[in-house]
Amino acid sequence: MKRVICYVNQFFGGVGGEDKADQEPYIVEGTVGPTMAINGALKDAQVTHTIVCGDNFMGSNTDEAVRRIMEMLEGKEIDLFIAGPAFQAGRYGVACGTICKAIKEKLHIPVVTSMNAENPGVEMFKKDVIIFKGGAGAVKMRQDVGVMMKYVNKVLAGEETLGADAEGYFARGCRHERFLEDCRENTAAYRGVQMLLKKMAGLPYQTELEIPKKELVPIAPPVADLSKATIAMVTTGGIVPVDNPDRIQSASATRWGRYDITGMDRLKEGEFKTIHAGFDPAAANADPNVIMPIDAMREYEKIGFIGKLHNFFYSTVGTGTTEAEARRMAKEMIPYFKKDKVDAIIMGST
Amino acid sequence: MKLSIGNLYVTDVQLGDHNAFQDGVLTVDKEGAISFLKECDDHITDLDIVIARPGDDTRIVPVIETIEPRSRKDGRCVFPGVTDDVVPAGDGELMALKGCCVTVVGGTWGSFGDGVIDMGGEGARHTYWSKLINICLVGETDEDFERHEQQKCNHALRWAGHRLAEYLGNIVRDMEPQDTETYVFDPLLKRSEERAKLPNVALVLQPQSQMEALGYNDLLYGWDMNKYLPSFLSPTEVLDGALISGSFMPSSSKWSTYEMQNFPTIKELFAEDGKSLNFVGVIMSNLNVALDQKERSAIMVRNIALNLGVDYAIVTEEGYGNPDADYVRCQVILEDAGIPVVGISNECTGRDGQSQPLVTLDEKLNALVSTGNVSELSRLPACKTVIGNLEAMNRDGMSGSWGYDEVLGKSARDDGSIIMEDNNWFCGDHISGLSVKTMVEF
Repeated sequence: MKRVICYVNQFFGGVGGEDKADQEPYIVEGTVGPTMAINGALKDAQVTHTIVCGDNFMGSNTDEAVRRIMEMLEGKEIDLFIAGPAFQAGRYGVACGTICKAIKEKLHIPVVTSMNAENPGVEMFKKDVIIFKGGAGAVKMRQDVGVMMKYVNKVLAGEETLGADAEGYFARGCRHERFLEDCRENTAAYRGVQMLLKKMAGLPYQTELEIPKKELVPIAPPVADLSKATIAMVTTGGIVPVDNPDRIQSASATRWGRYDITGMDRLKEGEFKTIHAGFDPAAANADPNVIMPIDAMREYEKIGFIGKLHNFFYSTVGTGTTEAEARRMAKEMIPYFKKDKVDAIIMGST
Repeated sequence: MKLSIGNLYVTDVQLGDHNAFQDGVLTVDKEGAISFLKECDDHITDLDIVIARPGDDTRIVPVIETIEPRSRKDGRCVFPGVTDDVVPAGDGELMALKGCCVTVVGGTWGSFGDGVIDMGGEGARHTYWSKLINICLVGETDEDFERHEQQKCNHALRWAGHRLAEYLGNIVRDMEPQDTETYVFDPLLKRSEERAKLPNVALVLQPQSQMEALGYNDLLYGWDMNKYLPSFLSPTEVLDGALISGSFMPSSSKWSTYEMQNFPTIKELFAEDGKSLNFVGVIMSNLNVALDQKERSAIMVRNIALNLGVDYAIVTEEGYGNPDADYVRCQVILEDAGIPVVGISNECTGRDGQSQPLVTLDEKLNALVSTGNVSELSRLPACKTVIGNLEAMNRDGMSGSWGYDEVLGKSARDDGSIIMEDNNWFCGDHISGLSVKTMVEF
């Protein structure tokens, strides 16, 4: 008998609504609320425990919440971990993603969750965690659990799974080969000729390798008068204060930070460093200005070549970071530039 | 051109002291065959013939080549410019022994392009060869100049394989076939009006030609494809031994000579020929490494297609990595010329599945068939019998296997189990069209 442990928030755990969202994590034996349905759908496996945690507690004390939950799991036999379904609930979705990712990395067991496409947790965690495509609200509970459990039962039985589309989870940018049934209609030769016949007839067909659309960003028009312009600096080179206060990841980043440089002539060694995992950091740690050239920009400011250097620089890590994440982070930065009337941004290469 | 292939179905192969084919059983005069092959090439120092059958608990490695045994009724050689003089191919009557293949195996030494075949167990599904009776020709040679080279021409053993295929084919040369496949390729300028109404479809083949040094690449009528420019061929020439496989390219991305003789995408196009399309032949290109060579070949393919009046094309490459540049370029240049394309090839998405699938991408590629991922890991238990030498996987730089990895250990373990990349299955991604693999998001 395989063992499954589940995670739900305070609401589905029966503790209460928004007023109980600060609930500290606790663990109970057996099922709670929706994990009963999960248990019912398991073949030759059972839900041995359920963890309940308030969304706010997980959101504002993430490290502490994860640490306590990992402690609770110590010594327990566990073959698979399920969080949610979280539907469209944003904080719950992020909590499910956070705990699934932590458990996958520390215990190396399969983890799954389910949430709605609109849930911010999808974009944040779909690369790391199998997230099933869920409904908007709890009315879809039975359906969402059903889809997820079909997959879970296969994984627990060591059976072959069929991929994101066929199973119903979000694609992760992770392509693997799959064997089709051995017959003429499934040979590449037959598939190729049939695809050509459809293309010839103008009928719909499914390419087996979709080429991602290249979104080219037009080059910005020149700044009319640099000597009056406020310039901001952005890098994907991972320059951060030495304690990395925003905990930006060293690869596949989903987080970014903005750091005050008011009154600084340059970024000093020992105060700033790079956390980028994609290159040898020695030169950047010895002189962070080689990636984030505050020293040169201050010179330009002094001689009046530019009007003003914006008081913050913006940083994240580019290595392994998806275009979608990069786009989201840029969108989050833009209001700050607008508020401070930044006229142009220099995005240095790394 | 009209090519007839008379088929006889082999249900078993026995080694004996005479040659015969009766009731599906092919009996091979083992010593006779071996002494014939040794007489043909004095670089061969040792030869053995071993039979491996579907379902056997047998692993064959390092596999150099697979070839279908065939003969020609009128006595012309089966592989022009290879097993004998350069003679025309593409028309006439062949005899083929179906259900079996000559499998050329290095007795001790492997090279970059050599691969693995498992006849039974979980590994069997990774190659088409496990469905055939493998007549394994296991040999040693005195080709000391390449003994410790990662890239080997394997000339003596490859040629011995082609000669054995023809030797076996000659056993049934004058027999009545059980059935006959007929491929008719009418002269393009003399086709009927009815055919002229159908869309014209060409197949662009990009056989392996990356080695600048001669002797490693595919041969067309015995001519090295590296010193070659695209030309027009009848598809029957490909089915008739005009093209043979080489020794370079990670194994799973190769087309073996057997696959060329039975090129599945050609056969599927013939199946639609005269019905939904007018199959106007093969534009034979190549896969050279320098950019100007790639561009020249792409331009010549485009111009041949335009001048033939090709409306649609299928493009397929024998390889991955550097050749993807040719594969993508050729499709783009055809699409730009108003000739919509379907591409057939494998992918390299890495062990985690997250790498870019082809070395270069273009949005104009909108109809692609994927035949596998070269970097998928295979872990398989030991087989009772090994034909060849497992140690070649650790020692000889075979693609997709290794002698040392700090996490995974060596590819061929002391207990006979193996761990390797998909790259190392002999023609395992069957880009020629045999593949029943695809690629999906996981």
